[in-house]
Amino acid sequence: MKPAPTLSTAFLHPAGQSLPEPLLALRKQRGTALVDMPLPTRKTENWKYSSKYLKLTDDMAISLPAEGKTGSSLAVPGYKVAFLNGVMMPEACEYPDLDGISIQSFSDLSDEDASDLADRLDSTLDNKAVQMARLNSARFEDGLLIRLKPDAVLDQPLFIVHEVTAEASGSAFPRIFVDAGRHSQITLVEEYISSGSAPVMVNTVTEFNVAEGANITSIRLNMEGENVQHIGSTGVVQQRSSRFESHTVGFGGPLRRHDLQVRLEGEGAECKLNGVVVTQGKQHYDNHTTIEHVAAHCNSEETYRNIAADQSHAVFNGRIHIHQDAQKSNADMNNKNLLLSNGAEIDTKPELEIYADDVKCAHGATIGQLDETSLFYLVSRGIGRREANVLLTMAFINELVEQIPVEAVRETVQGRLNHFFEQTFQEA
Amino acid sequence: MLSIKNLHASVEGKEILKGINLEIKAGEVHAIMGPNGSGKSTLSQVLAGNEAFEVTEGEITLNGENLLELETEERAREGIFLAFQYPVEIPGVSNLQFLRTAVNAMRQHKGQDEMNAAEFMKLAKEISKQVDLDPSFLKRGVNEGFSGGEKKRNEILQALLLQPKLAILDETDSGLDIDALKVVSDGVNALRAEDRAILMVTHYQRLLNHIVPDYVHVLAGGKIIKSGGRELALELEERGYGWLGIKDEEPADSTAN
Ligand SMILES: Nc1ncnc2c1ncn2[C@@H]1O[C@H](COP(=O)(O)OP(=O)(O)OP(=O)(O)O)[C@@H](O)[C@H]1O
Ligand SMILES: [Mg+2]
Repeated sequence: MKPAPTLSTAFLHPAGQSLPEPLLALRKQRGTALVDMPLPTRKTENWKYSSKYLKLTDDMAISLPAEGKTGSSLAVPGYKVAFLNGVMMPEACEYPDLDGISIQSFSDLSDEDASDLADRLDSTLDNKAVQMARLNSARFEDGLLIRLKPDAVLDQPLFIVHEVTAEASGSAFPRIFVDAGRHSQITLVEEYISSGSAPVMVNTVTEFNVAEGANITSIRLNMEGENVQHIGSTGVVQQRSSRFESHTVGFGGPLRRHDLQVRLEGEGAECKLNGVVVTQGKQHYDNHTTIEHVAAHCNSEETYRNIAADQSHAVFNGRIHIHQDAQKSNADMNNKNLLLSNGAEIDTKPELEIYADDVKCAHGATIGQLDETSLFYLVSRGIGRREANVLLTMAFINELVEQIPVEAVRETVQGRLNHFFEQTFQEA
Repeated sequence: MLSIKNLHASVEGKEILKGINLEIKAGEVHAIMGPNGSGKSTLSQVLAGNEAFEVTEGEITLNGENLLELETEERAREGIFLAFQYPVEIPGVSNLQFLRTAVNAMRQHKGQDEMNAAEFMKLAKEISKQVDLDPSFLKRGVNEGFSGGEKKRNEILQALLLQPKLAILDETDSGLDIDALKVVSDGVNALRAEDRAILMVTHYQRLLNHIVPDYVHVLAGGKIIKSGGRELALELEERGYGWLGIKDEEPADSTAN
């Protein structure tokens, strides 16, 4: 038998040494633990449909250089933070001094703060389930720490652009930790973009520690190029009566993987997770979500839609785990899928583990095609076939797009999706 | 304007239309009546270009042009409009967006500039009023959750916006209360013009009190078995279809949807 492939040791040498000592120590320790880490294969349950898209070559092991210019593609009002190849670019950041809110690069942290952070990094993620996130912990060169004091409210959305410049092969490891104090509020928009065409990996981890009564909105746009393998992990831990809302909009690529893990640890916590994924050509996208109902009286509502054209492949895996003490849990998961061609593939899997007896848990998944009768109705009014197809395809996800709470982002997303579908139906 | 010769059409291998002949001139209004399942909607759908129905024989020309060569959207741009018996609900596409896209597709075809959102909104609101639909219906999904009568009024709204040459109305009067029937008939009458023809499928003489047809045809078993003036409709109402030698399966009045 062929031995299972392991992560090449080339990937275990972080470059930048500018982090405070406690974080360097943490990184080193995480790296040591990764020696001989098996890479996901077809037999790895949670990578079953996606392992074949993961192509890590040794020339991708080096860190992409953190130099050059950044350019946000989202020209919208709000505060800005820019990452270039995983490192924060202070000159491209725009935010005022804010009362009760600190927005800092990991590199700028005092040893004391860094030591505190080192204790908490990875704490929101089940690292066994997100193997690849561990690589980020062994390699991150910088990061963004956002701390909100109790009752602090960020009055405008914070836009975080993660750009990679793929002039040559390499990887980037952006990292974000959000510590939201009691009853604080923030809206965070993460956008992933790229330039250049060399094969690169972006391995990113974002964590939210959500204290009692805090209210977080997280919007994530995945817009990287056809040369970028993206592996993203988001961990959320919620305390009593807190609320977390996420909107993920993803355009396909050679490998797109996002793990989203939410732990409802305090009673009355609530999360709403929306996701829209579109793929065409030979693109791939894999969303794995996990909602842990640990405490009683929590609500979760999850709605994901995939649209796959051509020979592309979309995956949705939604796990809901209701712990024994989580009585009166209310969980609702819905995944609808649209296949635009016979050659496209969509795999959807709900995983429910329910150990409490007094819960409401609803789930549903469907896979369908565009409706011929609707198409006929539209073209019978003189609307061209391509335009009619675009209208109907947009109709499949409009409901979710319209829920994106930041108008400028919503409009940008609508425009990009429209453009994407116009390409998709080019031939028709 | 429209000329149908020996038209045969089938669906899923089953022949529904078995040799239809019909001539419609500009300015005329024709009514088609006939029992359930006789092929009235099939004829309407074939004219609009629904590919679920296969034309196996015969020809259709619109102002001398072979209609069967044209795609559905091309037929619409040439002036064919079908008000559906069962208008389709399309959640996620707003009625306003749908209507504006259609109007602009037509305008583009005629070499006219597109209408911007504000201009179109004004026009759409006016015509909504004309068919007695509250402008709030423009914001809803296409026909989504509309009542039967609201859907029919939305069809007439589209006809008024698109100004077709040939309007085919497939039971646009079914399911309407008296007031709505008046609104819809007024809308249809507003469409009547020298250079336009109307083909209405109906089960009810009452519609023909509002919209007086020039000709009435009876379609049964996939063929037009009798044609006449408007008095034919009155006769059908009184006597049913039995006297024409076809099985009178159910009185026309029981078919209201
Ligand atoms: N898509 C289809 N598949 C199979 N049969 C069909 C289809 N569409 C129509 N038919 C059949 O064709 C015949 C004619 O139907 P059509 O709808 O044209 O009748 P109609 O005259 O409009 O009836 P109604 O008065 O009830 O509206 C019916 O027997 C119907 O079942
Ligand atoms: Mg019919």
